[in-house]
Amino acid sequence: MKLYKKEGNILQILSFSNETVEKGDYLLVEDAEAKKALIVQVIDVQFASIPGVLEELLRSLPDGGELIRGEDIDPLEIAPHITYIQDASLLICKIRATAENENLSPSSSWLPSRSQSTIKKLSLPMLLKLAKVDGKLPIVLGGTKDSSLLTIDASSLDGRLNIITGKKETGKSHLSKLLMVNLVGFKATVVVFDLNGEYLSLGMTTDGKRNAYYDKIHVLTPSQNFKLALNQLNLHVLLGILIHALHLPGTSAREFRRIWQALKERDSLTLHELGETIRNWNCNQHVRDALFSRYHALVNSGFFTDNVAEATLLEECLLKAKENGGAVIVNLRNTSAIDRQIVVEYVLGKLVDSLTSWKLKAVFLFAEEAHLYLRETYWDDIVTRMRHFGIFTTFITNQPDTIRENIYRQADNIFLFNFTNEHDLDVVSRAARVDAETVRSIARDLPPHYCLALGKVVRDFPIVAKVKALDVKTMGETRLFFKD
Amino acid sequence: MVIEQYPITTTPKYNFPHQSMDVTLPQQFIELSLHSLQSVHGQSFQLNQQPIQQINNRGEHPQTLTLRHDPILLEPTHQESIVAAVDTSTIKIAETTAGIVIAVRGANVWKQNKTYRYTRLGPFIFHVTEENKREVYNTLERAYFGYPYEHNHQGTPNLMQMPTRIASLLERWLQTMLSKTLDNALILFDGSLTSGTADTPTQRMKEILGAARKRGNIVLAFSKVTTLRVNGHLITDLLPEHKPPYLLEAAGLTLKPPMVLLGDVYVAKLTKGNLAFRLDIDREIPFEPRIEAVRRLLGNDLFTESYPETLRLAHILCTFTANEVLAMRHFVTRRYGLQIINRPDMHRLLFGPFGKGESYS
Repeated sequence: MKLYKKEGNILQILSFSNETVEKGDYLLVEDAEAKKALIVQVIDVQFASIPGVLEELLRSLPDGGELIRGEDIDPLEIAPHITYIQDASLLICKIRATAENENLSPSSSWLPSRSQSTIKKLSLPMLLKLAKVDGKLPIVLGGTKDSSLLTIDASSLDGRLNIITGKKETGKSHLSKLLMVNLVGFKATVVVFDLNGEYLSLGMTTDGKRNAYYDKIHVLTPSQNFKLALNQLNLHVLLGILIHALHLPGTSAREFRRIWQALKERDSLTLHELGETIRNWNCNQHVRDALFSRYHALVNSGFFTDNVAEATLLEECLLKAKENGGAVIVNLRNTSAIDRQIVVEYVLGKLVDSLTSWKLKAVFLFAEEAHLYLRETYWDDIVTRMRHFGIFTTFITNQPDTIRENIYRQADNIFLFNFTNEHDLDVVSRAARVDAETVRSIARDLPPHYCLALGKVVRDFPIVAKVKALDVKTMGETRLFFKD
Repeated sequence: MVIEQYPITTTPKYNFPHQSMDVTLPQQFIELSLHSLQSVHGQSFQLNQQPIQQINNRGEHPQTLTLRHDPILLEPTHQESIVAAVDTSTIKIAETTAGIVIAVRGANVWKQNKTYRYTRLGPFIFHVTEENKREVYNTLERAYFGYPYEHNHQGTPNLMQMPTRIASLLERWLQTMLSKTLDNALILFDGSLTSGTADTPTQRMKEILGAARKRGNIVLAFSKVTTLRVNGHLITDLLPEHKPPYLLEAAGLTLKPPMVLLGDVYVAKLTKGNLAFRLDIDREIPFEPRIEAVRRLLGNDLFTESYPETLRLAHILCTFTANEVLAMRHFVTRRYGLQIINRPDMHRLLFGPFGKGESYS
C-alpha cells in the first residue's frame, strides 16, 4: 500500500490486489522519522484511476460489442503485471486519530511522509487496546471481521443518550435486548417501553427454560397486571396524563385540580367518586363535558382501578430492580394509541418522581419506536432535563426520521444497522459523533445482524461487529399468513 | 558472442488459418529480450513517456506525380475472402544510464466467416545500449535473413532508431508469416510499398510480396498519412465529386535510389466521409485482379472513414496503452531490480512553463 493523497481528513491510499482491504478496516500509516502514526479507517474502496484503462477495455470490445477472440503470445508474462496495475484500488480513508508514544489524539494536522511511510492493517484487538476500549463492566457486543470480540464498557452507556437504528429485520431489537440483559447483569435498573411485546420472554431461554434473568424481568401489561388506583397517583402525574395524553384544555385542567383537591380532602380518590364529582360539580357545561370525556377515556383504558389490591405499584418493581438489577418491561402491545400515551405519561412521570426523590439512582430507558407514544415536548425533556434526573435513554427505531435532529446531535452512541435508503442515511449522518461519509458508505453495505458502533462506546472509532446471539426466547415475530 | 540459451520455447500452436510456421524469429525475440534485460540488473532508470514517432522521410519525388481525374468506380464483391492485416508498435519505456528500455509488440488480425480473430505477439522488452545494439540487431537479422545487418549495410543503426528498427523487423516477419500461410486472401499492410530504406530492404519486401502472390494472396498497403502532393495539394485531398467507393490512380511517382516502389499508388475513397487514403497495390498484380481485390475487400470487411476494420483492429491491438507501459515498468522493476529515478527535465528547469519539450510524470 502506498500513500497517495490527503485532503482534509481524508487520506487516499493506493492498494494492490494482493492486499485485501475492505470497508471498515483500520490502517496504521506509520512515519518512522516523525515517530508518529495516523490511524485511518477505510470508508470506501474504489478503482484507482490508472491511465489507459479505458483504452484497454475499449479495445477488447470492438467487434460489435462482442469480445474479439484471439491469442496472446506473451513470453515475458507481462499480462499479470497489467492485471496487477489495472486492479489497483484506491482506498478512501478517514483519519481517526494520531498515535504517538502509544497515546492517541484526534489530531490530523500533520502529514506523514508519502515515500517513507509504511502502511499496514491495524487489527481490531490492537485498535481497541490503543483506544482503551475496555473497562470493568464488559459487554461483548459481538464478533468483528478478524474474529476478535468487540467488547464495550457498560459505563460508556451510563449517563448517555443512545440510538439503535436500521431498517427492518436487521437486528435492532436483538442488540437492544443484548444491551439490556447485560445492564441488568450489572445490577442496573432498566425500563423498556415494549411496543410489540418483544421483551416479554427475556427471562426464558430459546427452549423455554428459565434463564439467569428470569427473576429480574418484570413484565407489566396495562389493564392486566398493571393497574393504578387514583389514590396512588400524584396530582401532577394525572394532570400530565390529562393535558399531554388526553389534551385537556387549561381551563378544564384548573377545574380538575379543584375537583381533585376536594376528593383528596374527603379521602375519596376513587374512579367512581371522581365521576360523580364531575357530574355534580358546579362549573361551565363545556368544562364539565371536557372533563367527562377525559374521565371516560381513563375508565375505558382499563388502566385505572378502584381495587387497591389489584393495583400494581410500578414503584415496587423499580425498587426490586434497584436492589439486584432488573428490567421493568412495560408491554404496550395491543394497547391503543391513547392508552399507550396514558401509560407512558404515567411511567415517565413516576420515574421522574422516584429519581427526584432519590428513591432510584438512575434508570436505563429503552424506547422502541418512541414517536408512537412520546409527546412532542418529551423529546427535549428526555435528552436534556431527564438526563439530569438519571434517565438514560436508548431509542430504537427503523424510521430514523421520526427521531428529531437535535436528538441525533446529542446522541452519545449510535448503533447503526443496514440502511439503503439515502434519506434515512442522511438523517442518521446528522449525528454529531460521526461523519456523514462514514455513515453513508459503511452502513449501506452492512449485512443483516452487523452493526456499526459509533460514539463513546468505541471511543469514536467506528467499528463494525456482528451482534452476538442471545439465548433468550424471541418474541415479536411478524405474524405471517403463508405459514403453517 | 554466443547468446546464453534460456529454457524458453515459443508457443507450439499458432492459430493462423494455415499450420506451417517459422518460429525462429519470436524465439530469438524472447531470448534477446531476456538477455538484454539481464544487463540492466540493479541499474537506475528514468521514466520517459515520449512515444517514438516513425519518421516518414521516404525521399519520394512527387514533381512528376499526376493523379488521374477519372475515378475507378467500385462495386463490392461478396465472394468470401479472408482479410488479414499486420501492424506493430514500439515504445520507449525508460532510459537507463547505459541506454534505453523499449517494448515491441505486433498483431495479426484476420476476418474469416464474418468473425475477427487475432494473434498478438509480445510485448518483447529490450534493453538496448551502445554496447549491445549491434548484437541485438544482428541476432534478429540473422534469425530472419540468415545474415547479419552489416552484411548489406554500413555501420550499425543509431541507438534512437533501434525501437523502430526492431519493430519493423517484427512487422516484416509477421507479414511474411501471413504471406506464407494464407491462400487467396487479402493482406493489408500498414504504410506504403516503398522499399529500399533501412527498415524495409527491397529484397525482403520483394520476398514478402512474392510469397504472397505465390499463394494467390494480394497485398494492399494503406498509408494513414501521405506526403505525396500534386500541384501542392495532398493527393488525398484532391477528390472528385463522385459517390464512393472509388479509386484514383496516381502515376509518375519516381523514387531516389536505392528506394524502389513495389506497388502502384492509388487514392482510395471507399466510404462516405471526409477521409481518403493512399493505397499501394503490388504492381506485379495485373490491373483487373487488383481492382477485384479492392472490390473483395469492400465486400468482406467493415470500413470506418474508408479505412478497413481489420487494419484498424491490428493497430488498436498492438498499440501500447499507458496502463501497459506502467505494467512493463513494474515488470522490469520487479524482475530486474531497476530503480526509477527522476532526472530533472532540462526544458522545464531552464524555461519553466515555456519548456515544453521533454517531460516526465
